[in-house]
Amino acid sequence: MERKDNQTPQGEIARILVEFLEVAITSVVSLKGIYPSGAFERRKYMNVVVQRARHPQLREYIHSAVSGLFNFIQKGLVERVAVIFYNADNIPIERFIFKLTVNQSFGSNVEEVDLEFSLRSFLIKLSVSQTLTTVLPRDCRWEITAYFRALPQISASKDAEMWIPTDTKQWQQPPLITPIKSMNSEPLGLQLYLEHPNSSELLSG
Amino acid sequence: MSLDSSNSKQRSFNSTSSNNQSNASNSKKRKSNQKTLGMAWGANSLSGSRSSFRSSPFSDFGSYMAVKTRKLQNQFDAEASNSSRSDSSTKPIFDGVSIFVDGFTIPSSQELRQYMLNYGGRFENYFSRHRVSHIICSNLPDSKIKNLRSFSSGLPVVKPMWILDSVAANKLLSWVPYQLDQLANNQPTLSAFFTPKSKPADEGAFTNAICEVKPETELLCLKDASFSEAGNSFEWRKQATEEHNKLMCENSNKTVIDGPSNSYSEEPKEVEVVGPSNLQEGDESLANNRLQSCPEQSSASVSSHCFDNHRIRGSPGSSVIGPSKQRHSTLGDPNFVENYFRNSRLHFIGTWRNRYRNRFPSLSNGWTKSSHSDVSAGSQKTPIIHIDMDCFFVSVVIRRHPELIDKPVAVCHSDNPKGTAEISSANYPARDYGIKAGMFVRDAKGLCPQLVILPYNFEAYEKVADQFYNILHKHCNRVQAVSCDEAFLDVTDLEGKDPQFLASAIRKEIYEATGCSASAGIAKNMLMARLATSTAKPNGQCYIHPEKVDEYLGPLPIKALPGIGHVLAEKLKNKNVQTCGQLRLISKDSLQKDFGIKTGEMLWNYSRGVDNRLVGMIQESKSVGAEVNWGVRFRDFQHAQHFLLDLCKEVSLRLQGCGVQGRTFTLKIKKRRKDAGEPAKFMGCGDCENLSHSTTVPLATDDVEVLQRITKQLFGSFHIDFKDIRGVGLQVSRLENADISRQAPERNSLKSWLMSDSASSKEQFDINSRAKECIGTDSEGKSMDGNSSLLHNASVENSVHGTNNASNGEGCSNQNSSVPPLCHLDIGVVESLPSELLSELNEIYGGKLVEMITKRKLQGDNSAGSLCFIPPEPAQVAVVEAERSHNSDSVSLSRSAVEMKDEQPILEELRTVPDSGARPISVAISTAGLENNDLVPSSLSQVDTSVLQQLPEELRADIFEALPAHRIQEISALGPKTDNVHHPLGIESADNQPGSGLSNNLWIGNPPLWVEKFKVSNLTSLKFIADMYYKANSPESLSSILQCTLAESLHPLDATCDAWTEAIHSFSELLMNYIKLKIGVDIEEIYVCFRLLRRLSTKSEFFLEVYDVVFPHLQASIDENYGGTLNIPPHN
Repeated sequence: MERKDNQTPQGEIARILVEFLEVAITSVVSLKGIYPSGAFERRKYMNVVVQRARHPQLREYIHSAVSGLFNFIQKGLVERVAVIFYNADNIPIERFIFKLTVNQSFGSNVEEVDLEFSLRSFLIKLSVSQTLTTVLPRDCRWEITAYFRALPQISASKDAEMWIPTDTKQWQQPPLITPIKSMNSEPLGLQLYLEHPNSSELLSG
Repeated sequence: MSLDSSNSKQRSFNSTSSNNQSNASNSKKRKSNQKTLGMAWGANSLSGSRSSFRSSPFSDFGSYMAVKTRKLQNQFDAEASNSSRSDSSTKPIFDGVSIFVDGFTIPSSQELRQYMLNYGGRFENYFSRHRVSHIICSNLPDSKIKNLRSFSSGLPVVKPMWILDSVAANKLLSWVPYQLDQLANNQPTLSAFFTPKSKPADEGAFTNAICEVKPETELLCLKDASFSEAGNSFEWRKQATEEHNKLMCENSNKTVIDGPSNSYSEEPKEVEVVGPSNLQEGDESLANNRLQSCPEQSSASVSSHCFDNHRIRGSPGSSVIGPSKQRHSTLGDPNFVENYFRNSRLHFIGTWRNRYRNRFPSLSNGWTKSSHSDVSAGSQKTPIIHIDMDCFFVSVVIRRHPELIDKPVAVCHSDNPKGTAEISSANYPARDYGIKAGMFVRDAKGLCPQLVILPYNFEAYEKVADQFYNILHKHCNRVQAVSCDEAFLDVTDLEGKDPQFLASAIRKEIYEATGCSASAGIAKNMLMARLATSTAKPNGQCYIHPEKVDEYLGPLPIKALPGIGHVLAEKLKNKNVQTCGQLRLISKDSLQKDFGIKTGEMLWNYSRGVDNRLVGMIQESKSVGAEVNWGVRFRDFQHAQHFLLDLCKEVSLRLQGCGVQGRTFTLKIKKRRKDAGEPAKFMGCGDCENLSHSTTVPLATDDVEVLQRITKQLFGSFHIDFKDIRGVGLQVSRLENADISRQAPERNSLKSWLMSDSASSKEQFDINSRAKECIGTDSEGKSMDGNSSLLHNASVENSVHGTNNASNGEGCSNQNSSVPPLCHLDIGVVESLPSELLSELNEIYGGKLVEMITKRKLQGDNSAGSLCFIPPEPAQVAVVEAERSHNSDSVSLSRSAVEMKDEQPILEELRTVPDSGARPISVAISTAGLENNDLVPSSLSQVDTSVLQQLPEELRADIFEALPAHRIQEISALGPKTDNVHHPLGIESADNQPGSGLSNNLWIGNPPLWVEKFKVSNLTSLKFIADMYYKANSPESLSSILQCTLAESLHPLDATCDAWTEAIHSFSELLMNYIKLKIGVDIEEIYVCFRLLRRLSTKSEFFLEVYDVVFPHLQASIDENYGGTLNIPPHN
């Protein structure tokens, strides 16, 4: 009753997904070692050990960014959520992509337990994927970017105002994709994969 | 004090924190060799802690804990020796008891510790099987319930009340009655479930009795100077006394009459009386009360008590008029809160909704779900009727006084002409004098000296409201109750009738039944209907034609629109907008900019007569609360606390009445402004500051004690002088359904199984409906009636269980479900029940069950034969359908067909001889697998001939017979074909037109189509892959098949050139199919597959070639879907 507007399956999925993304993104950031390891503390989520940011601002950034997506995810507007790492020249080096498919016509109740089972495997797989990723150079920065299926209406909700249009630099050539984990259940499809610039691009750039 | 000192010690321990020490404070929650009880940190944190202790003086974690536990014990002993009552003569209460507190308890673990200190018990901070004798907790998570033994090590798990009660009784009570409910009721027996319990009913009666006595005594305690009818008063008093005595006698065996009730005998003069009519009503209500308290009556449903209580609390108010000078403030009246709400009209309206919901639970909820989807779209046509009683509160009171009809009459709780009581409702003649609701009686009398002021008659209001809704529900099944005297009807379904005619019929009927008039508005939506009613009033009706809407709205002042109040109207007025016509000139955007998105949209819509609400959308209430801002004057702190307690009781009752529990509690206080004098309104709140504090607790509650504790805390946080308090309100929000939280354990019970079964076995209904015919509906209906109420009762009882006697309405309405009718029972399941269960169920159904089963058996023997009663599977359902659509001969056919489908894998095994290569045939399997609905194939082309061939002669003949006549020729056509099946037809065709034809179908079915296809092909490499399918662990994913292939050492190759290309082609096609299938959802699987394929390609020429064929296709697909290429280096 407390979350009345989440009563739809989509709302429920969005809620679970937002929570998951917050954890997963934190895990990605911690995995990449962009901050000293002391910036994270071990926590338990979905019964696996995950990292949680200790710095309030970092935590707040991830939290507000992801929870700002809640309404859009619920409506199925968000296609991908990317965690992008840039080098000092602002050129993306590596992108972690979460590709979402929320079944908008899914009618029955969502079993959080079932979803959790699948989502947990993402966290586990992520924690052992370090070898797939590139080593970051010094002076990196990172950001969370969301790709929408359609541009959302302005000021549809307060949370959403946190999100601004971006003109992230794109790679000239199609990137190399390395899948990390995929799940496809009735209410929710989620894929996590890495994008790296094509080797030729690295030479030219 | 001792408590504090121990805390501070711990704190100082923590505060010396280096990195090590902060870990140490964490480790309080960790155990090594200690048993873990409900701590979030598991074993994985252990390693970390160990390493951090390497530098500490303790050799390992265990020794640290040992030292720590010892230290805590010493502390405890020291404190105990200081604080325990040193009655060395008697043994302390808790001698030998050692408790461990698990989780959140009331009182808190620290308070419990204090009790143990004071009364000679022990308190363990850490669980140990050897030291702890009792585990104290209020609630256990499900996981611990399930593993109770490992959790408690067999020790008793007891509620904290045990300690409190033991202290109160000053001796150690047996813990058994205090065992945690979750454990005690772990396995309720069936009979306990279905037999009605008389105990809760008695309890209900008991509370009723208390309620009855209180109002009585109240009445008698009232002081008032005005004895207008002194003569009657004596008589009345006598009667009242008699009544009271009777009540006392009746209740004396059950109830303890509290202090004030005795006072009536000492000061009987103070009784204050009105007219004889009220006296009569008073009697009525009393008689009523007595009726209600009869156990038989109350056993009908526990939830009704709640409302009976309300009624009782409402009714005596009608006989009290005129504020007593002293007692009507918190100062003089110990039961002020109760009386306050008893006399409150707003309270009546507020609680009425619950009553309504309980009266019409199915009606108010039932059809909301099934509401037409086209309503919103075609709302232009939907006729809506809005019905509103004319000045309800007055006309109900004066309907028995025809002489008053033309006179100005108002309803108010006091008729003191100089009073500052507010008029709550006035009739039309009175309104002509300018009298409005909310006016002081004093001012109203000034405007119209002959104004007659009557008191409320809540009893009558309730009766009329019920009649009103009975009539509405009789005429229309889509009714949305707005309030006790106002409702919307959606008459879309009643297209045959003219809504205007219907409205006048309803109004006439209402007048005849209740003696009060009602007005009606008819329009295309709820907004317009409501506006139409305001035009129609009084006692009229008005129809606004859809085309006339603009005309009607144009000159309408904006304040007439619902949702536009003073503030909004004022703002709009500043913009020079006073009518809807003017409002329409403003664009939606600028409205939304000025007033916010929602309000702006509402204004825009309403000014155009647009209203998309559907009739029947009942809003769940978001909060429940009670507020008193009249007559609040506190003498001292104690007094204020007492008032808060009463308020909590009221709120708790309301929560229970609504069947909800809340988590957030807000205490509002009206504080007199510093410079404000005594308010104009007698005992009113005057000029006040509004303050509020709120808090949220983790567990929703409606318990008075918890409410009280929280309220006390909140009250304390105000730091306010009690003399300045002019009003107090307590509001509970974040509501949760009480029955959800309470009934969770019951979910797994047999009853819920029966419920869900009746739903899930709906399909089975077809079969059983025949049985129903045999048995006869009426007898069944009868037995059901009886039982449903029993069950209902039992369920309500369960929902109430664990709290005090009042029940929750929601629980009742949600639990309306009962034992499913016999015809809904899945006989197959029933038959396979253990005999004890069966006999118990049989009792519930009054013996009908066994009867039915025997009949069923007989019938089964007689009927055509092969119907089976296995729990419903789609396939079996199809049997029934088929059976219904065809005559009984076809049963065997469809039945066998179903068998075929079910046994497909087996049949496939049978068919290892390559006897069915024909493409259409294998397709038939897959389509049949997908759509089970229509199992008798319309043409033989859909029949798998290979299956047909396997059938015995007679069965095959049956099938042919069952087919439609014009299909018979196909059989003969098929006949020769079956001989030709040795041709690898399918593969040839696929060969000729690659990529099309079978494109997506290869992965359909179980096993997928391709397996069959590959197996029957004469190419060794393909056969080899098909074999892999059966070897793989999870054959539905290609990756595991490839994994299996990789493990195989020998990879057979096709020698001939033709066969080689053919095999490569087929396999490539399979892969492309797979890519197509998975590209959108699972690139991980594709990635794994191609990594494996790449490794295979180093081993086998065949896979190398396939890889090279498919790889470009793969990358193209990935690029198309993901804008990139898969990170697999091309093979070179």
